[in-house]
Amino acid sequence: MIIEQQLKASIKEVDDLKAALDEHAIVAVTDPQGRITFVNDKFCAISKYARAELLGQDHRLINSGHHPPEFIRELWTTIAHGRVWRGEIKNRAKDGSFYWVDTTIVPFLDPNGKPRQYVAIRTDITARKQAEEKLNASNKEVLDLKTALDEHAIVAITDAHGKITFVNDKFCAISKYAREELLGQDHRLINSGFHPKEFIRELWTTIREGRVWRGEIKNRAKDGSLYWVDTTIVPFLDANGKPRQYVAIRTDITARKEAEEKLNASTKEVMDLKAALDEHAIVAITDAHGKITFVNDKFCAISKYAREELLGQDHRIINSGHHPKEFIRELWATIRQGRVWHGQLRNRAKDGSFYWVDTTIVPFLGENGKPRQYVAIRADITERKRIEMEIKELNAELEHRVVERTAQLEAANEQLESFSYSVSHDLRAPLRAVDGFSQAVLEDFGPQLPDEGRRQLQTIRSAAQQMGVLIDDLLTFSRLSRQSLAARRVDFNAMVRGVLQELGAPWADRRVEVRCADLPPALGDPALLKQVWLNLLSNALKYSGKRSPAVIEIGVADKAGRPAYFVRDNGTGFDMRYAGKLFGVFQRLHRPEEFEGTGVGLAIVQRIVQRHGGQVWADAAVDRGATFHFTLKSEPPT
Amino acid sequence: MSETPRIELLLVEDNPQDLELALRALRKANLANHVHVSRDGAEALEFLFGDAAAAGRRLEDGPKLIMLDLKLPKVDGLEVLRRIKDDPRTKRIPVVMMTSSKEQSDLVKSYDLGVNSYIVKPVNFDGFAAAVQQLGLYWLLLNEPPRSDPP
Repeated sequence: MIIEQQLKASIKEVDDLKAALDEHAIVAVTDPQGRITFVNDKFCAISKYARAELLGQDHRLINSGHHPPEFIRELWTTIAHGRVWRGEIKNRAKDGSFYWVDTTIVPFLDPNGKPRQYVAIRTDITARKQAEEKLNASNKEVLDLKTALDEHAIVAITDAHGKITFVNDKFCAISKYAREELLGQDHRLINSGFHPKEFIRELWTTIREGRVWRGEIKNRAKDGSLYWVDTTIVPFLDANGKPRQYVAIRTDITARKEAEEKLNASTKEVMDLKAALDEHAIVAITDAHGKITFVNDKFCAISKYAREELLGQDHRIINSGHHPKEFIRELWATIRQGRVWHGQLRNRAKDGSFYWVDTTIVPFLGENGKPRQYVAIRADITERKRIEMEIKELNAELEHRVVERTAQLEAANEQLESFSYSVSHDLRAPLRAVDGFSQAVLEDFGPQLPDEGRRQLQTIRSAAQQMGVLIDDLLTFSRLSRQSLAARRVDFNAMVRGVLQELGAPWADRRVEVRCADLPPALGDPALLKQVWLNLLSNALKYSGKRSPAVIEIGVADKAGRPAYFVRDNGTGFDMRYAGKLFGVFQRLHRPEEFEGTGVGLAIVQRIVQRHGGQVWADAAVDRGATFHFTLKSEPPT
Repeated sequence: MSETPRIELLLVEDNPQDLELALRALRKANLANHVHVSRDGAEALEFLFGDAAAAGRRLEDGPKLIMLDLKLPKVDGLEVLRRIKDDPRTKRIPVVMMTSSKEQSDLVKSYDLGVNSYIVKPVNFDGFAAAVQQLGLYWLLLNEPPRSDPP
């Protein structure tokens, strides 16, 4: 009874336990072949199968396919050997939904020690599993983000004291430090010294207070090169609200910064240029319609208008009315077409005074290619203009004077011409009478005259004839000053040969040796140049008349790059002390009994040579011959 | 004396000494018989154009030669030359310019007006006499003028 009672009690207890278990757990029992022999309500509920659908089936019915075959095999091996298996299994319910169960499978053995049945007790852990899965997914996302960040940004993490605890590859790459060199250091390692202390202090203040700092920092790499980073520092706080670490994310902006610096420098340069221009020039800017939008101080100063009086006006305010309409129209046509205009303008200042400006107007085009504004830069040239005007007036006066003088000269020349005309005509007539009537006396009364009387009459005649020659030479000489010059290429070799022939070469009555070098051609008046050679050569022949043989040398020397033609003789020469008189009219260095002549020949030579822009000079010594050189102005055209 | 023999040579010369010397030279060459002397340009023109008409002479029967000084009182030699050469009745009469001027412009003007000869009088009397004689001989004796038949 007691046993029965005890059994009864025990059965009750088992039933209670079973009831409790049923309440709490998902329970299933299978036979050794795996066929389901029992399921409780919770099993049906979670698997969404009816009991009848489950009994007699094996667990493949609820297999989700999630677990690999090894997992299932290991499970069966464990329980087939009579050992308890425990694990988490993902199953599939009848409606296709999945659920996770924490599973304990207990094998019950028969007296032979073989499993007689398996009792599987499961707890629904679907909620936990889903949470875990979600967490894993979000962890993965974080990792992905970190990877992406690492790929993209320069990342460093420092502890609360600023010591570097992490750097990514990009940090190492840009700073040119190895990771080992950075870890444990603080950021002073890459401090460029560029930023003021206040800047650094403000950064630390911000992040220590748990706020994010953002800014641009210039750092120095290990090799000394500088780089700019756009930096965001995020403090992470501990439970006390104190920063526990700082994550710094940076982007390399060196290129942008350099471009900015260059732009700043060039902007500064432009500003400097503008300032310099303002200092130097008169500057005005007008809009497309010609309204003044800007004037600098110098513009105000020269125009004597206040800035307020000028802005909004057009340039007619300073128009002097000096320039014709076409001039102004041409100016506008030029700049409207987008071309630069340059010219000189006469403007009127506020007080009515005039000023001249050298003006350059540069049109600046808008998007549509039409001028959007005009910048006019002017320089005050009033003084220059005044001087120009003065010069112009002086020139005009000078020209007037030249015209006057020329007229006077022409008149004088005309007078001279009529004078020499008279001389040639009237002076010779009485001489002809002197000579003629002397001859008449000799013819008509010769026999009655004593010898001495006849000789004296002869002397009168030769004197009159001599005077005739003098008059002719004088006329020739004066004509030389008035005659216009021809400019032709002259072959001096042929000319000299011709002149020598005219002078009687070859001479039968005396011994003359002529040595003639090859002479370069000249440019000049052939008739006059022939006169030069004629006079020089006849002189040479005349003054070497007492030599036997007379040697006449004709050649060319070099005088400062110009040919200097010369005629040399071995004649009587002259004393160089009197060389100054040589080229004067009627100047003679010899008495007429020695050598006849009027003393005009060399004066004529000098006049002709001078009119050809040349020089003539002589070298001589008494009884040692003479050399006459002459040059001409220009080389003959080749 | 309306029946004067035909004048062969008209000598226009204002300078009395040159005139005397010229006549002396002509005389020596036996050329002085039919010479008429005019002392200025106006007289010469009067003789050629005015007197001829008054004397009933035809202009075509004028002198065989005119010796003309360039520089003359009243009407100068160039003007006289122009009048002679402009008139179809006198333009064939040979005119010799006898002058002291060697001015190129005088030479050019004279030739442009149709002068037949241009002689520069030498100062030397021998030369002067020779020139006058040669000119007279050449133009009065050697040279053959075109026949001037009455109409």
